[in-house]
Amino acid sequence: MQSIKKPVLKGFLDMLPLCLAVIPWGILCGSLAIQNGFTPFETQAMSLLVFAGSAQLVAIELIAGNTPLLTILFTTFIISSRHFLYGLAVRHKVIEQPMRWRLPISFVLTDELFAFSHHPRAYRTKTRLIYALSAGFSFYIAWNIWTLIGIVAGTMLPDLTNLGLDFAIAATFIALVIPGVKNLATLVTVIVAGICATLLKSTGFELWLVCSALLAMSAGYAVTRIVKNKDAKS
Amino acid sequence: MMTTILLMACITFFTRYLFLHRALPFKVGPKMQQFLSFSAPAVLTAIWVPIVFINDGGINLNWQNPYLSAAIVAIIVAYKTHNIYLTTLAGMGLFLILN
Repeated sequence: MQSIKKPVLKGFLDMLPLCLAVIPWGILCGSLAIQNGFTPFETQAMSLLVFAGSAQLVAIELIAGNTPLLTILFTTFIISSRHFLYGLAVRHKVIEQPMRWRLPISFVLTDELFAFSHHPRAYRTKTRLIYALSAGFSFYIAWNIWTLIGIVAGTMLPDLTNLGLDFAIAATFIALVIPGVKNLATLVTVIVAGICATLLKSTGFELWLVCSALLAMSAGYAVTRIVKNKDAKS
Repeated sequence: MMTTILLMACITFFTRYLFLHRALPFKVGPKMQQFLSFSAPAVLTAIWVPIVFINDGGINLNWQNPYLSAAIVAIIVAYKTHNIYLTTLAGMGLFLILN
């Protein structure tokens, strides 16, 4: 029992800042849906089943605008396509685990959980699986509580994302990324990702996130190769 | 409406689960693995940098942009402390004062 308690607690505490940082988005998901004619049941079901903040927010607007179903689904697919990268990146760590672990892990494999997946032994031991599930599902529960608050409070609350509270997510992501910048390749990755994402997003290009991520990863990989070649020659 | 939500759920789950499916007959080679090792910093940075620089639909490079000064402080604190709580507190604190 003791052996389970520790990773559960650690997973919860590691994820806690991120759970708090998404309060504005979770509440927005709830209230925006209600304002656009979703029933409370549908709104909560969306957070319980889809569990993807950016996809949910965009879909709510599209559904409210009577967008054709295929467009909604295609947009969801585009926004969610970054998850393919996450699956690929953790595949070699998770693939040996039985289905009963892989299924729940993949269900909660959000940007936030992926940020805690870089350890070489992540998902490889039972303790680390429990840790990941605890972090993943505490984020799931938090997301659904914030949605519920948005449903109940609805129009009574101001739009917290307009108050600039969306900065909280930026601050937590900075905290997750910066300590990992330990070599030139990662530094280049981060700089290319930031510049490309800002430029592509401001033009309204729909594939901005996946494209800038792929460009940045290519840049980081290229730097690794160049550095290696230089080392080999000298 | 519920049909739309269920179909959306299928799509997000599909994108998350696909490459964790054992029957997919491929192995990620060492070069691909190296490439993928940059995915976390790449995607996370691609999410947070536009939050800082894009305000009201346009790029805001003004040094008085509170997102920018708060982000710089958060980066310094993150670099020095490696602590997610301190970084978030310092960043949010300064941001709320400036905003």
